[in-house]
Amino acid sequence: MFGAQPTKTKIIMELINETKKKYKLEFFGIGSEFFGIIIVNWLLTVLSLGFYYPWAKAKKLKFLYGATALNNDRFAFHGTGKEMFVGFIKAIIIIAIIYGVFVLFLFLKMPLIGGLILYAGFIAIVPLAIHGSYRYRMSRTTWRGIRFGYRGNRDEFLLSFYKWLFFTIITLGIYGAWLSINSRRYVMSNVRMGDIAFKYEADGSDYFWMNFKNYFLSIITLGIYSFWWYKDLFAFYVDNLSLEKGEEKISLRSKATGSDFFVLIIINLLITVFTLGLGYAWAVTRTMKFFTEKIEIEGNIDLNAINQTEEDYTDATGEDIGDFLDLDLAM
Amino acid sequence: MIKGNAFYYDGLSSVSQNIDLIIDKEKKQLVFTTLLVGEINWPIEDIEINYNSQIINIHFGSKPVQVIKLDDEEFIIEFTQYLKENGKEGWYQRLINLGTKIHVIIAIAFLGTIVLGYIYLLPIIAERAVVLVPEDYDTELGGGFYNQYIEYCEIDSIKTEALNSFAQHLDLENKKNLKFTVVNSETVNAFALPDGNIIVFTGLLDLMENYDELAGLIGHEVVHVNKRHSMKILCRNAAGYLFVSAILSDVNGIIATISDNINSLQSLSYSRGFEQEADEVGLNIMIKNNIKPEGMINLFKRIQNKHDIDIPAILSSHPLTEDRIQTIKNIIKSKNSRYVENKSLRDLFLELKD
Repeated sequence: MFGAQPTKTKIIMELINETKKKYKLEFFGIGSEFFGIIIVNWLLTVLSLGFYYPWAKAKKLKFLYGATALNNDRFAFHGTGKEMFVGFIKAIIIIAIIYGVFVLFLFLKMPLIGGLILYAGFIAIVPLAIHGSYRYRMSRTTWRGIRFGYRGNRDEFLLSFYKWLFFTIITLGIYGAWLSINSRRYVMSNVRMGDIAFKYEADGSDYFWMNFKNYFLSIITLGIYSFWWYKDLFAFYVDNLSLEKGEEKISLRSKATGSDFFVLIIINLLITVFTLGLGYAWAVTRTMKFFTEKIEIEGNIDLNAINQTEEDYTDATGEDIGDFLDLDLAM
Repeated sequence: MIKGNAFYYDGLSSVSQNIDLIIDKEKKQLVFTTLLVGEINWPIEDIEINYNSQIINIHFGSKPVQVIKLDDEEFIIEFTQYLKENGKEGWYQRLINLGTKIHVIIAIAFLGTIVLGYIYLLPIIAERAVVLVPEDYDTELGGGFYNQYIEYCEIDSIKTEALNSFAQHLDLENKKNLKFTVVNSETVNAFALPDGNIIVFTGLLDLMENYDELAGLIGHEVVHVNKRHSMKILCRNAAGYLFVSAILSDVNGIIATISDNINSLQSLSYSRGFEQEADEVGLNIMIKNNIKPEGMINLFKRIQNKHDIDIPAILSSHPLTEDRIQTIKNIIKSKNSRYVENKSLRDLFLELKD
C-alpha cells in the first residue's frame, strides 16, 4: 500500500495545480498621458481659484484606476467632481465648526480648553475620515462592472481606533505600530469586491520589530538600508493581504527587492529634480508600473464568476476631510 | 454605422461577454445583442466615455454600472472620430488631446508667469496692501517681540535714558512713540521694531566719535519705523507663501510659515530699496535738525573699517556700502544744509560714550 501513496499525492497535487490560477496585475498608464491630465487640472484649478479641485481629483483618480488592470480588464473609478465637491463643502463646514469652537474659547479667555478641543476635534475626525473615504472610494470603484464595497461598522471602528490611540499616547508612541496595523487589518478585512472578501492578517508586534530592525540598520548604514526598509514595508502590506470567496482563496506576494526600490527611487528622484518637478507624472506612472509588476497573485477564485453584491454610496465627506488633513487614505 | 468587436459586462456578474457593437449614427445610439437579454440600446448622450491608455471603457447606468470595453485599435479610432465630429468629445478631453508638446508649453508658460509675478508683481501689491493692516498690529507685533527679546539682554539704563533724551531733542517726523533701549553687548548693531522700539548695542555706540553719527543712525532707523518697513516685508513674505501655496494647492503650510516669520522679526532683512529709503529720508531728518549730514557717511565708514573681514549684522543685508556712501554724498551735494553745533546733543552723546 505504501507504493500507492505517492501516486495518490501526485494526483491530488495535479488537481490542485490545475485549479490554481495565475492572475496578472498591470499598469498601462503612460507618463505623457498623466502629464496632460496633471497640467490641465492644474491650469483649471488655479484659474478657478481652487474650486475645480474636486473635479480635478476625479479626473486624476479615473485615470489612475482606469490604467490599472487585473487580468487585462481595467478598474474604473466612478466618483464625480460633483460628489466630491459636496463632500468638500461638508468637510469645510466640519473643520470650520472645530475652529469656531476653538476661537470661541479663546474669546472666553480659556485658550487651554480651546486648544484641547482643537486637538481632540482633529484627532476625532481622523477615523471618521478613514471610514468615510473607504466607504466612498470602494463603492465608486468597479472591475468588470462589479462594485467594490467597504462593510466596516463606523462606531465599532471609531471605538477601537480611540482605544488604540489611547494606548499609543500612554506608551509614548510605541503602540503606534499596533494602532496602524490594527486599523489596517480592520479596514482592509472589510473590503469586498462583489462577493469576494479581502482579508488582511498581520500583527502589530511583527510590524514593530520589522520597523525597529530597519530603523537601526538604516541609521548604521547612513540611510542606504532604507531601500530595504521600503522593501519590507511593501512586502508587509502585500504579503499579508488575501482574497477569499467561500473555500476559494487568492494570495498576494511581493517580489520587490531592496535594489529594485533603490533603482525606482533614485531614478524617480533624478526625473523629478532635473525637470524642476514637471517629470512628476512620469515618476508616478513608473511607480504604479513597479508596484503592479512586483505583486504576484495566485489562487483558485474564478474571476469570471464574481457576483454584484455591494451597494452604492456617494457621500465623499470622509474623502475630502482626508484631503484637508493631508492623509492619503484609500488604497 | 460603425461596427466592431467589444466586451460587455452586465453589472450583475463579472462574466465577460463578447459582443458585436454597432454605433447607429442616425439614431445616435449604441446597439448590441446578448444571449440573455437580446437587443440592448444605449443612447449616446447617456453614456460615459473613459479614454484610458489604449482602451476605451464605456459606462452606462449607475445601479449597477454596465461596461463595454473597446480594445480594438481601428474601432477605437473610428469611434473617437465619430465622437469628435458630433461634438461628443467634451471640452476636458479636447484639452487633454492637445498633446504633450502643447502641455509642456502650457506648463512652462504657466511656471514662467508665476515666477515673474512672484518676483515683480507680488512685492508691489503686498506693500500697497500694508495700508489695510491696522497700525495697532505693528504695535502688538513689535511689543511682543521686544518683551521676548529683551529678557535675554542686559540693559544699560543710564545710557538708555540718555539716548531717549538725545532723540527727544530731534524732530524725527514720527507718528508713533519712539522708545530707545541701549543693550550692553559687543555686537555692532542696531535695529528698529515696528512698534517704535529701537534697540542699539553699546558695541555700535562705542564706535562713534561724534554726535552727528548717532543722529545719522537714529534718522535711519526711525525711517524704518515711520515707513512701516517691517510690516511691508512681513506682508511681502506672507503674500509670497500664500501665492506659492495656492499654486501648489497646499493649505497646510500657510499658517505655519506666517507664524515662523513673525517669530524672526529681527532677522528680517530689509531690501535694498528700503535701506536706500531709510538713508535718504534719514538724511533729510538730519538736515532738518541742522546736523551735519556727513555724520552718516562717517558712521558707515567706521562700521566698514571696524569689520573689514567679518561683515557686521547691521550691514549684512546690504553689502554695497560703497554705493550707499556714494549715493549719500551725492544727496548732500545737491542739498543746502546748515550746520549748527548743538551743545545739548553733544553733552548727551558724551554721556553715552562713558
